[in-house]
Amino acid sequence: MSAHDKPSTWTGRLRRSALRALPPDRLLPENQPAYVSSWVYVFGVLTIASLVVVVGSGIVLVVFGPTWWHVSGIGHFVNSLHLWSAEAFFFFMAIHLWGKYFMAAWRGRRALTWMIGATCFLAAIATAFTGYLSQQNFDSQWIATQAKDGLNASGIGSVFNVLNSGQMLVWHVLLLPLVLILLVVVHILLVRLRGVVPPLPAQTKGVPEEENPGYPRNPDPAVEWKGAKRRYDLIKELVAAVGVIMLVTVVLGAIFSSPDERPATIARWANAEPADFLVTAVSELDGTSGTATYGPPYTRTAGAGQNVFDSFSPARLAGVRIPTDSAQVFVLRPLSIPAKSDPTLTAALAAYRSASTSQRRLWTGNYGKALAKVSFSAGAPVVASGNYGPVALMMRALLGQARSGGLDGALLSGGRFYQTDYTKPLLLLSDGAYLEGLAQRQNLLGDQWGMMNETGNYPGQAWLWLYTFWYQVPPFKTSENADAQIWAIMALLSLALICVPFLPVIRGLPRRLGVYRLIWRDYYRRVERSGG
Amino acid sequence: MKNAGIVAVASLLGGKPHYIHVGWFQISVANLVVIVLMIVVFVLAIVLPFPREREKR
Repeated sequence: MSAHDKPSTWTGRLRRSALRALPPDRLLPENQPAYVSSWVYVFGVLTIASLVVVVGSGIVLVVFGPTWWHVSGIGHFVNSLHLWSAEAFFFFMAIHLWGKYFMAAWRGRRALTWMIGATCFLAAIATAFTGYLSQQNFDSQWIATQAKDGLNASGIGSVFNVLNSGQMLVWHVLLLPLVLILLVVVHILLVRLRGVVPPLPAQTKGVPEEENPGYPRNPDPAVEWKGAKRRYDLIKELVAAVGVIMLVTVVLGAIFSSPDERPATIARWANAEPADFLVTAVSELDGTSGTATYGPPYTRTAGAGQNVFDSFSPARLAGVRIPTDSAQVFVLRPLSIPAKSDPTLTAALAAYRSASTSQRRLWTGNYGKALAKVSFSAGAPVVASGNYGPVALMMRALLGQARSGGLDGALLSGGRFYQTDYTKPLLLLSDGAYLEGLAQRQNLLGDQWGMMNETGNYPGQAWLWLYTFWYQVPPFKTSENADAQIWAIMALLSLALICVPFLPVIRGLPRRLGVYRLIWRDYYRRVERSGG
Repeated sequence: MKNAGIVAVASLLGGKPHYIHVGWFQISVANLVVIVLMIVVFVLAIVLPFPREREKR
């Protein structure tokens, strides 16, 4: 052997290993087997082309920052390109997946290719999900407040906190795209190295007299194809696909734009529905609100936390990771800010803090009942006279603080200069009826199959149809543990999608359904001709 | 007039949501269009003939 064949340096050895593992003529062949003769084969490259446009438009959005597209016409158009290319990505990926299933494309040591492809689909759903959460508009607020229940029920809500906009943005623009692109690259490399799966055995009548070696009747999927080939320019196909997707997304973006419903704020809530705000604030103060009784990861509430089955609760196992004392966080601490310049409020807060628990409950209970007939005079709440202690004054001050926007700021402020964690304001908003009312008008509620929907008339996350389906049927429809149970079911179904090549009934269906005969009909015709 | 047409289409998507509601099932018209389009595209991809090219052994 020559010195060239046996490199003595690490660099040379790496080069030799790389060339052995990834031979260029396999990675970028100029021909494909003759059976690659169906439009079904273009959906893979259309998916990749869509991903190219998604990443390109996403990079532009990242460069100009997360708020740019809300205030700039060009930014909004780039966001529209991002939205429509993401829709195209899922559109073509789903069809690609259907096609590969009907071809039983995992045959001949291609199970890993299928498994990584299916994982790409799941990674893409996670990437798109964090994208919706990063929009910083009403849609992202509502998705975050609803999705938190599923994630908390599965025990990962504190680590993957969907209410933390900054955290979701990093997942969306860096971590998940890296994972997704890496998976796509490995998937493509495996497709190129293993080759495109050959047709299922032809079902010919009688014993064929002769066989055309170019079109074998029963091609072995595990052996490299030696039959007829056709010219196939992969790079030209990719460039053309990127051009088509660019054109389609530009046209869709220009005509239909993209949705951007303005976000709900506590100030908007307190001005639009002050009575609902006060009822919610009192429930936070007396510890009866949704957040106050939520359980892990926010509060230590006996028995709270959804169970997957029996008393198995991933939420309780994960524990209280984002401790939230609703009275302190949503009422007392924010009020301490205006109290610095308001001696009356300072005295009211001191009186409330020094009172016994039973005394506090009496005041909040009385005031809560009185709110049923609250009216407003010059913006201030007016209730029938009663024993409210300092609560009436505190609530009046809190409403004023909320209406001015001060409560939005107070809940966002965490003692740090940069603020990206919206956990507190979103928890408070989701405890009231205002946010839900806005969502209902946009058909975003759970019983409206809202998980699939987008604000306005835009297509939403249609790929979540199965996930939202479970919430519509018994026993999940009325189950207190629906989030935990449906997450468990979807985790199992996701695993099943990845493991299709190993599932006895599912992997046999493509042969029975016979769609493959249509996909490879040209090939089977040739086989029939040569066999006749 | 041309711009007015484009604005009209855009406001159609941004305006009052259109939904199909049958019993417990509900779907937005936009999502339904996308799903039907996917099925149509898949069927067309199977049915339509793929351009033939010169073959070589």
